[in-house]
Amino acid sequence: MTTAVAPPLLEDTPIGPKAGGFYRHQSVWTGLGFGIFLGFLAWLISHATVQGSNWGTDMVVTCTMVGWVVGFNIGVGTFNAPIRWMLGHDQTHEDELYAAGVGQGSSRYLKFCTDHKVVGTQYLVLVMVLFGVGGTLAMMIRTQLITPHSTFLDPQTYNAIVTIHGMVMIIATIIMVSGPFANFIMPIMIGAKDMAFPRLNAMSFWVVVSAVPCLLATFFLGGVNAGWTTYAPLSVQAPAAMDAFAMTIITFVVSVTIAGVNTIVTVVTMRAKGMTMGRLPIFTWGSVVGGALGLYAMPAFLVVMTMMITDRATGTSFFVPEVGGSQWLYENIFWIMGHPEVYVILIPPVAAVLEIASTFARKPVFGYKVAIAGFVAIASLSIMVWAHHMFTTGWAPNLAAPFMLTTELISIPTGIIFLCTIGTLWKGSIWTRLPMYFVYLFVWNFIIGGVTGIYLSDVPADQFFHGDMFVTAHFHYTLLGGAMIGATAAVCYWFPKVTGRMLNEGIGKVAFWMIAIGIQVTYFGQFWEGFQGMARRVAYYNPHYEAANQMSTAGAYLLMAGWLVFLYMMLSSWRHGKIAPANPWHAKTLEWKVPTPVPLENFLVDPVVTSDPYTYGEGVPDGQEVPATAPAPEPELVPAGSAPGDEHDGGGAS
Amino acid sequence: MSFEEEVDEIEANTLLGGAPFFSRPGGKIFIIWLVFTIIGVLIGAYAPHHLLPGLQSPEGGDVWATIVFFTVLAAPVAALVYAIAFYSLFAWRHRSDDPDVPPPDAEPQRGNGPVTVVWLSVSTVLVVVLLFWGITVWSAQQVTHPNALQVNVTGQQWLWTYSYPGTGVETRTLELPVNRPVQFNVTSVDVTHGFWPAALGVQVDANPNVVTVIRTTPNKTGKFIVQCSQLCGLYHAFMNNNGYVVSPQQFDAWLQSNGATPTSAATAAGTSAGATTTAMKK
Repeated sequence: MTTAVAPPLLEDTPIGPKAGGFYRHQSVWTGLGFGIFLGFLAWLISHATVQGSNWGTDMVVTCTMVGWVVGFNIGVGTFNAPIRWMLGHDQTHEDELYAAGVGQGSSRYLKFCTDHKVVGTQYLVLVMVLFGVGGTLAMMIRTQLITPHSTFLDPQTYNAIVTIHGMVMIIATIIMVSGPFANFIMPIMIGAKDMAFPRLNAMSFWVVVSAVPCLLATFFLGGVNAGWTTYAPLSVQAPAAMDAFAMTIITFVVSVTIAGVNTIVTVVTMRAKGMTMGRLPIFTWGSVVGGALGLYAMPAFLVVMTMMITDRATGTSFFVPEVGGSQWLYENIFWIMGHPEVYVILIPPVAAVLEIASTFARKPVFGYKVAIAGFVAIASLSIMVWAHHMFTTGWAPNLAAPFMLTTELISIPTGIIFLCTIGTLWKGSIWTRLPMYFVYLFVWNFIIGGVTGIYLSDVPADQFFHGDMFVTAHFHYTLLGGAMIGATAAVCYWFPKVTGRMLNEGIGKVAFWMIAIGIQVTYFGQFWEGFQGMARRVAYYNPHYEAANQMSTAGAYLLMAGWLVFLYMMLSSWRHGKIAPANPWHAKTLEWKVPTPVPLENFLVDPVVTSDPYTYGEGVPDGQEVPATAPAPEPELVPAGSAPGDEHDGGGAS
Repeated sequence: MSFEEEVDEIEANTLLGGAPFFSRPGGKIFIIWLVFTIIGVLIGAYAPHHLLPGLQSPEGGDVWATIVFFTVLAAPVAALVYAIAFYSLFAWRHRSDDPDVPPPDAEPQRGNGPVTVVWLSVSTVLVVVLLFWGITVWSAQQVTHPNALQVNVTGQQWLWTYSYPGTGVETRTLELPVNRPVQFNVTSVDVTHGFWPAALGVQVDANPNVVTVIRTTPNKTGKFIVQCSQLCGLYHAFMNNNGYVVSPQQFDAWLQSNGATPTSAATAAGTSAGATTTAMKK
């Protein structure tokens, strides 16, 4: 790509010493400073105003969290461009280049940066940090449960840890693929220069960053003792930590919604010439369906948590039964979010698994359109299954059978996804590199998670298993064993493109076996606890369950050790790994056809697509090539992170 | 064996033609499938039988039967996925000296209409069977008995209180006569709890301001555990107590030792002679 005819790299564009304006002075540190300042100011004002009233503490905590989130985002630069636009000083081309990271080296990773590749990398690091936090909390839970009456944690701390482990992992798994890979990889896959809304893209990242301290603050505000589901009315009575918890979720939903809109608009409007919807790589479809489902599901979470805050801070009574509220109202809205959310987590990594299986079996995706139909069917059905979480609540017993029907129906499209996966592997030339290891582990785990799910979908059996460790084991098999292992395959697959270096697969295989065995031991231990009838979320238990708990804890330590080895492999390869060629897997999707590291705006020459990326073995020319030279010099380059109103509006939908 | 030789071998041993059954791909897949199916069915038979708490009601029996039945249905499907995935790995795995060189492209196969249709049909049939089973069992559990023993269950942080209407008995341990239908009227005075006598195979939440109802018929005497199945605050883990299923005579004696008047105790105990329970509407 460095031939003389190629246009100069955009990131080498000289920009003036004042380009970027205010952005020049902003980074995560100014965000932190201003967030703390505004949070403190909000605390001061709200404290002076509502002190002594009935709901004072809740009001103060809520205001402080709002102050922090808004302040952090002002400080980091989220609102610069809209404010300048409103003041009539819109960003210039140079300002946009600065905002896209030109001339800042690696410090751009600590800034509000509109380059989708920077945002994707930022997300990847954030997800790893969140998994570190959530995993540490999980280890504390498992350590407490080694013996029936452990004194390692007191019950209040234990309950708080159970809650925050759940929520950290939910946040991390929702963004683990849609954050790093739908941002970094997906736009290149479809031949786009960036996401449709680069500033919103950066905003979605920094908003979720500002949510994380709110969540961790709960430990210092008394702890949320209600489980990640925070069922009312317990959560209405919970310590002030609950307000911070609700603010975390409200902030997080803002981020996910922005990201979902951005993904969908990008795919609809920014595809390269010839990249029809029927030629999209399957991972792109997964990102779109997952993003769309998130747009349906996540706002319900925002609504229910807003009602929770008003219940606690202002004395409304949506969920307080004594004064006309209903705990079932809470449970319904919560699970209207909660079940589709599971598929928001699952669909993108499953789509990534199909993508990877195709590359490493050197075969087209089996049943490409059937798989897309499967994703759409899963997404559509998943909005009608929420009450299976409420089979034993006593709410609407007449609806048990209809919800059993919808829940069991969802196994049909899920089965289709399995068919497409094994169909892709069937008679493939199986290339057993590290990503493929995790594809097989995904198949192994996700089957177990799926099969154990059908027991829970059956009302009579659910009357035994509800609230039982069996449920815990089941959803960890689907979300950790399925989704997170799928995401791990994606990390291994796209690591060379993201970092420019190859993973050390020798260490990776050690990590793989530790993780693979660790998962089986941990969660078979929990199935065992579940069959014996041990309740979830208990800090102490009957000695009858001790052996099963010890098995689970032993597996959990192995699992954690496996992840640490994996982390070591990632970090050491990131730093010292072998330099990766542009296309180490000889894959056909567009992201492998651009140089590594990927230049700003990805394509020096716009690609023209003539077929889908799955032409393995079909003896036809690759239909997704990026030409090495420009057909004719272009009058001007498209500015980075260009604002609405210029080239992207006019011809972006080609 | 080189990859090409392997491909030749596969060509020679297509799914249906040529060599003896067990050396063909189809035969090998069948063996892997059979092994996984047997493992699945064995787990499905062993786990409920040896791990579940001693089940003491027909509803508990339904849990047991459902696990076994669903496992028998699901194991072959799961085993088929495993068999195909692992056979693909072992038979068509590309072996080469340089792991950085990708294997040659496989024969493209973009889909298979008949296979997809069969797969869809089989999974649909299985879902219908699951659903039919579930609804049949669930409806059978909905039968109400006019002379059922009424037990009012009240959850509070962090204990259960049981009262037997008409007897004035209020206790912290649950005692039930064997072979008599019982109806639990469950409520809570503070937050949501989960009333879960696991061995009886039933469960319902205890919600404030609402009475939720579950029914069962204990059919085996012995001790069981009542747990709270909804996280309900600080001492959630301690919110459990023992329950006992006893003979009707022992139950009567127990009621009286807990302060029931003889006549009302007889009403509550409702011997099989057919005591009226008109005073016991919830």
